[in-house]
Amino acid sequence: MFTDLKLSLFLAYKSIIKGNRGTLILTIFIMSLIFVNLVFTASIFLGLGNTVNNQVINTLYGNIAIEPKKDEKYISDVKTLEQKINSVPGVAGISAQYVISAAISFKDKSGAWAIRSINPDDEMTVTTIHKFMVDGEYLSGLDTDEIILGKEIPGGYGGDLEHLSLGGVIIGDSIDVLFNNGVKRSYRVKGVYDVNFQQSNNIAYISKKEMESVLGLKDKASLLLIKTVDTGNEDQYINKFLELGIKEDIKPWTVYAAMVKNITRSFDMIALLIAVIGLFVASVTIFIIIYVNTISKRRHIGILRAIGLKEKIIIHSYIFQALFYAISGTIIGLFMMFFILKPWFIENPLKFPVGYVSLLIVPEKVMINTISLIAAALAAGFIPSWMAVRETILDAIWGD
Amino acid sequence: MNNVLSSNLENEQEVLLEIRNLTRIYKMGDVRVPALNNVSFNINHGEFAAIMGKSGSGKSTLLHQLGLLDIPTSGEININGKDILKLSESDKARFRLERFGYVFQEYALLPELTALENVFLPAMARGRKKKDYILKATEALEQVGLGVRLDHRPKEMSGGEQQRVAIARALINDPDILFADEPTANLDSSSSKQILELFHKLNLEMGLTILMVTHEPEDKKYVSRVIWLKDGEIAQVNI
Repeated sequence: MFTDLKLSLFLAYKSIIKGNRGTLILTIFIMSLIFVNLVFTASIFLGLGNTVNNQVINTLYGNIAIEPKKDEKYISDVKTLEQKINSVPGVAGISAQYVISAAISFKDKSGAWAIRSINPDDEMTVTTIHKFMVDGEYLSGLDTDEIILGKEIPGGYGGDLEHLSLGGVIIGDSIDVLFNNGVKRSYRVKGVYDVNFQQSNNIAYISKKEMESVLGLKDKASLLLIKTVDTGNEDQYINKFLELGIKEDIKPWTVYAAMVKNITRSFDMIALLIAVIGLFVASVTIFIIIYVNTISKRRHIGILRAIGLKEKIIIHSYIFQALFYAISGTIIGLFMMFFILKPWFIENPLKFPVGYVSLLIVPEKVMINTISLIAAALAAGFIPSWMAVRETILDAIWGD
Repeated sequence: MNNVLSSNLENEQEVLLEIRNLTRIYKMGDVRVPALNNVSFNINHGEFAAIMGKSGSGKSTLLHQLGLLDIPTSGEININGKDILKLSESDKARFRLERFGYVFQEYALLPELTALENVFLPAMARGRKKKDYILKATEALEQVGLGVRLDHRPKEMSGGEQQRVAIARALINDPDILFADEPTANLDSSSSKQILELFHKLNLEMGLTILMVTHEPEDKKYVSRVIWLKDGEIAQVNI
C-alpha cells in the first residue's frame, strides 16, 4: 500500500515537474481564482449580514432590549431595573428610552416618524449614533427644546426617501412635533445624523427630560437598550437577568433583526448557488486537464500497465496531480484573500443601503470551501484516470 | 496441420512456458477473425527464440497472449504446471511485474523520467528499497552500455539508446523471460545490430530466456530457434 502510494506520488510529481510549465501555471491560477470566487462571495454576503446585524445592535436596539410586560405600556421603576442589570458582569451600558410616534411638520411639509427620548450620556454607552453626526451637534442632557434628526427626516441630506422628508430643514430651524397623545411642541433642530442605515435614519431624538414632560411620566421607559461587552452570548445574559427576577419582556437583538434573517437566508442561497457553480467549473477544469493529460498519455498508461503497474497506482497518480492543482490554488487563493482582498476592502468598504460592507472571512466557510474544492478535484482527477485504465492494455498502447 | 511441433531441444531442456492450443479470435461486428489457431509449443529456460512470419501471420498477437497483455479466446499457458491465464487481473499484473520483461517496438519510455528513473520504476513498484533499486537500475544501464546516460531523458537519447534503456527496464526485476516485440523495427541497421547483440549477450551470459518477434530474416543468426507462423498457425520450427 505504502509502496503503491509512493510510486503514485513519484509519477504525479514527475508529471507536474516535467510537464508543461504554462499549463501548470494556468491551471493553478484558475484554481486560485475559483477558490477566491468561492470564499469572496460567501465573505461579502457574510459581511453584508454582519453590517446589518451591527447596525441593529449599534443604532437601534443594543445587544438586548427590554420591553414592557404584556398588557403594560411602559416599564416601571426603571432606575431599580437599571441597577439590577448593571450588576451583571459584562453589561457595558444601558439606555432607557421612550419611543413614541409623532407627526413632524416644517412649513408646508409634514410626515410621521418615530421619536425616541434618551439620556444622551447613557445612550452613548449603547449606540454609536453620536459618532455619525453629519451636521450640527448631538443632544446634551439639558436640552429640552432641541431635537436631532435622522438623515431621512430633514431633506437635503441625500436620504433614500427624500420625497417623504420635510423638504430642506437646516440646523437651527424650528420644527413642530405633534405627539400621539395630542401634545404639540416646537423644537430647534440641533443636529442631523447619518448611520448609513435607513431604519435608524428615520428616527428623531429628544431628551428624556423633555419627553417626560410631554408624557407626564417619571422613571418609566418604553424600551431599555442594553449593550454587552460581547456579541453572541445574549442568551446567557438574558438568563442572568431572569435569575435577577426581571419580569419584563427581554429580547435579544436577533429578534429585531428577524427581517434581516430573510435577507441573510437569500444571500446564503445565492452564495451556495455561486459556490456550486464555482465548484462545478473547478471540477470541469480539472477534469478537462486530467482528461487531456490521460488522452495524451494513453500509450504511457498502457505501457505502465503492461510492465505490471497496478491500475490504482496510475489512478492515484492522476488524483495526486488534481490534488496538487487544488491545494496550490487554495493556498494562492488564501493568500489573495487575506493579504490582498481583505486589506483592500478594509480600506475601501462597499457602500450599501445598510452601511459600509467589508469582507467577513469566516474560518468555517474557508474550511468548507477548501474541502469542497479538494473533493471536486478528487472526483475530477479520478473519473478520467479511471476511464483511461478501463481500456485494454493493447488498445491503450496501439489503439486509435 | 499438426501444430504441436516440438524439438529435441525442448525435450532435453527444462520447459519454462508450455503453450497449449492457444487460440485468439477477434470479433469485428458479426465477423470472427481468427488471429491464432490452436497454437502449441514450449519455451525452454535459457532459450532465445524468435517468432517470425509474414505481416498478419499472428506474431505479435501470439506474443501479447504469452505476455499476458491480451486474453486469448481459448488455450493454456502453463508455468510450473499452473495455467497463468486463470490468474485474476491483479495477479496477472503482479506476474507481469515480477516474472516478465517487455521490450516494445516504440521504446515505450516515459518522457518525463530520466533513463535511471524509467529503469527503476518496475523495481520501485515491487517495493524494493530506494538504495537497492537505484543501484540495480544503474547496473542494468551499465550492462546495456548506458552508464553515462543515467540522468538523460528519452528525448535527449537516440532511438537505439532509448531501446537499450527499455531493455534495462525489462531486466530490472530479473524476469524469467523477456518478450521483445519487433525491438529493432524503428532502428537503423547499426543500432539494430547493437540491440540484437545485446540480446544475444544477455542470453549467453545471463541465461536470460528471450522470445522475440521479428520480421528481419538476418535476425535468425542471433537466435537458437525460429518459430514460423502462417495464418495464425505454427508453420515450421527451425533450430
